[in-house]
Amino acid sequence: MGAISSLTIDKLAKMIDHTLLDPSSTYSKLERLCNEAVKYGFGAVCINPVHVSLASKLLKSTAVKVCSVIGFPFGATPTKVKVFETRCVIEDGVEEVDMVINIGALRSGDYVRVRNDIDAVVEAASGSVVKVIIETGYLTDEEKVKACQLAKEARAHFVKTSTGFGPFGAFPSDVKLMRRVVGSKMGVKAAGGIKDFNDALRLIRAGANRLGTSASVSIIEGFEWAKYSKAWFIEEIPCKICPSRHSNLTKQPKEVYRYYKSKCRTCPDRKYNVFYEK
Amino acid sequence: MEADTGMKGWMGKILRVDLSVSKVTVQQANTDDLRNFIGGRGLGAKILYNELAPATDAYSIENKLIFCTGPLTGTRAPTSGRYCVVSKSPLTGTIFDSQSGGSFGPELKFTGYDAIIVQGRSSAPVYLWINDDEVRIVDAIELWGLDTHKTTDTLVRSTDSRAKVACIGPAGENLVRIAAIINDKHRAAGRGGLGAVMGSKKLKAVVVRGRRSVEIADRRRFDSAVEKSLRAIGKNPITDRSLPTLGTAALVNVTNELGMFPTKNFQEGYFEDAEGISGEKIAERILTGQVACWGCPIACGRATRADRKKGEGPEYETVWALGAQCGVSDLIAVTKANYICNELGVDTISAGSTIGCAMELHERRLLREEINFGDAQAVVDLVRKIAYRDGIGDRLAEGSYRLAERYGAPELSMSVKRLEMPAYDPRGAQGHALAYATSNRGGCHLRAYLIGPEVLGVPALIDRFKWQGKAQLVTLYQNLFATIDSLILCVFSSFALNPEHYAELLSSAVGMPFSGERLIEVGERVYNLERLINIREGFSMKDDSLPPRFLKSPLVQGGSRGRVVALGRMLSEYYRIRGWDRRGKPKPAKLRRLGLETARKTLKRN
Repeated sequence: MGAISSLTIDKLAKMIDHTLLDPSSTYSKLERLCNEAVKYGFGAVCINPVHVSLASKLLKSTAVKVCSVIGFPFGATPTKVKVFETRCVIEDGVEEVDMVINIGALRSGDYVRVRNDIDAVVEAASGSVVKVIIETGYLTDEEKVKACQLAKEARAHFVKTSTGFGPFGAFPSDVKLMRRVVGSKMGVKAAGGIKDFNDALRLIRAGANRLGTSASVSIIEGFEWAKYSKAWFIEEIPCKICPSRHSNLTKQPKEVYRYYKSKCRTCPDRKYNVFYEK
Repeated sequence: MEADTGMKGWMGKILRVDLSVSKVTVQQANTDDLRNFIGGRGLGAKILYNELAPATDAYSIENKLIFCTGPLTGTRAPTSGRYCVVSKSPLTGTIFDSQSGGSFGPELKFTGYDAIIVQGRSSAPVYLWINDDEVRIVDAIELWGLDTHKTTDTLVRSTDSRAKVACIGPAGENLVRIAAIINDKHRAAGRGGLGAVMGSKKLKAVVVRGRRSVEIADRRRFDSAVEKSLRAIGKNPITDRSLPTLGTAALVNVTNELGMFPTKNFQEGYFEDAEGISGEKIAERILTGQVACWGCPIACGRATRADRKKGEGPEYETVWALGAQCGVSDLIAVTKANYICNELGVDTISAGSTIGCAMELHERRLLREEINFGDAQAVVDLVRKIAYRDGIGDRLAEGSYRLAERYGAPELSMSVKRLEMPAYDPRGAQGHALAYATSNRGGCHLRAYLIGPEVLGVPALIDRFKWQGKAQLVTLYQNLFATIDSLILCVFSSFALNPEHYAELLSSAVGMPFSGERLIEVGERVYNLERLINIREGFSMKDDSLPPRFLKSPLVQGGSRGRVVALGRMLSEYYRIRGWDRRGKPKPAKLRRLGLETARKTLKRN
């Protein structure tokens, strides 16, 4: 359990960005999200830019921060658009922005462009917290390392695993890798596919200090169960929480898919990689 | 009108009805029992432990039939519209509690009783009419033979238009071992044949009309606990989305995909035609509306219409039992058979599973009668025959174990302690398998619903194929579910609520401090007491098992292929965690800790 044993419900709630990025969300859903964030003491709400002004109004004079997303979910807009988007949401009241990197540029080795893209958003955020989404599902480990280094050099505040709209969500192995690269002074936000308290704790153990999830209420309510049995924390079969197992040719570039699958061949845990539903 | 005992949450009174001498007495509830066993299942177990002599025949005059409410019944606590019936089961021979929703439970509570103990046997059919303080045992000769719908209509007409009725149909009258007690026409205290116990006492119905209210100790705190619980239920994807939208049958496609939707008497775990009987198909073909039990925000009930008849259901367990278990995918036939079960008072799970067992017996040429898998009409015909003990129905009315034993193949009964297992192949979920094997009432999914964590991922997803750690979780769930059944709330609430929610609801309602841990301890006490009753009845470690199919024959296709249950490994760990000895008997230290010292005598004798 390690660091987890001292984790209280309040501390866990503070680590959560209560997220609503569904494009069909209505105002009433947003209102509910904000109310829940206050009630449960979540660190922030993470929402689409169009909802920022309303959320800022609803959360005024509360401890809950408003966070919005930039270049979301593909990161494929020009830097000047990301800059404009950042200025807009800052003006509307956000305190944190989660930007998606130029994934194609990174995979092409055009690191200068990626770095400039992040630099520009950090500057436009003028001191507000910037989290850099690297979208791990499109990247090899080497590319993840490079993306994290670029985010660190650009003085962003966090690196973040995924948008929740990419090939897959957050895995402990990715979080561990990202934490190793950015060190202890920078934040690591795990996001995507975090459904229950066990997922959450596994990622925190791996090194995440912020979680992005829409299942925040279930996670907090469920966390009460943790104290009743150690059996919740029995080690998961390694393949079930490994990105290689979850690789999917229909969602990933074929080189990335092949990269992940090739890792299985030399994996020390490959004996677990038998028939097993995901 | 308010409860006049000064108690909060509880009503403080127990009604005793002796049918042999037509005598009714009211006694004060024992406050220690209420504090230590809460109500419902726990209170029923305590009463049965005190009053039932060992080895009493379930149909004998000495058996008791106890209708219980709980301290939260009839309050604003979400899903509190329930009651339970406790007795010795004629099907299993164990202690048995059967729970049901609808609106009978709250009405019973509003008459002012925490429990009604029915004992003795009437010489002629009667019904019990409780109209607040007025309690009458009324002649029911005209009702004997009527189905549950006609019985309910007649009784509501002749008593009070707002009265609620729990009654038996012909199955209960004919001492069918899988007979149910039906309330509000469509809701069943279904399992364990308690309808037959009611029939053996010649008690056709219990009719209640109450005008008392339930006093709450701390109204503001209680309201806040209710709001908190409602919020959690409203945010949980199962209680807020799946169950209201598709009903319990939402599970069909889920379990089928995982290869644990038992098919053709558990010979397979994947049913090719499952889509035809899925929740989605129900919504598309027969659904006319949602139905909620009293005070329930979830509303998983299905109002349906099939073959020009209106009714409720089928539920997940029923579409499985009368469908896949018999190789049937005809939704209309399954719905018709379900309506018949409700009208005649038969447990759909045991009925379907017993028919499935007969089909396998026939397939293996052990049973001569032509009952084939996939024959939808046969299923419809057979449920009726079971209720009337007509022809082969007489043999099926004994339940699958006695049926299979009669033909020399008891291993073909998919039951534990003679109770037919429900709609989850244990080979697909190790924890759930252990829960079946160690259940105090036999093959049942509601003693510990490990499907929550093992399949649905609530409160957290754990590996369904791993056996490690499952003994600990099964113990936790069995204890918690014993508590929920004692409160009495619907176990579906546990998808969204945790022990702290329940503790806060109870503490604020009764004005006594209960923590989550203390509630779990109450559940542990109830579970151990039930275990002691079963030991007293001659049950032992050998009964904590599963049919050999699950231990030796892996599933050949679907998402659970190649799997068997690692029962031996889990069972010894389970006994250790429970504080029981290697033969499964509670150790003295455990009984002392739970305040059950006096029960040690039971162990010495057995």
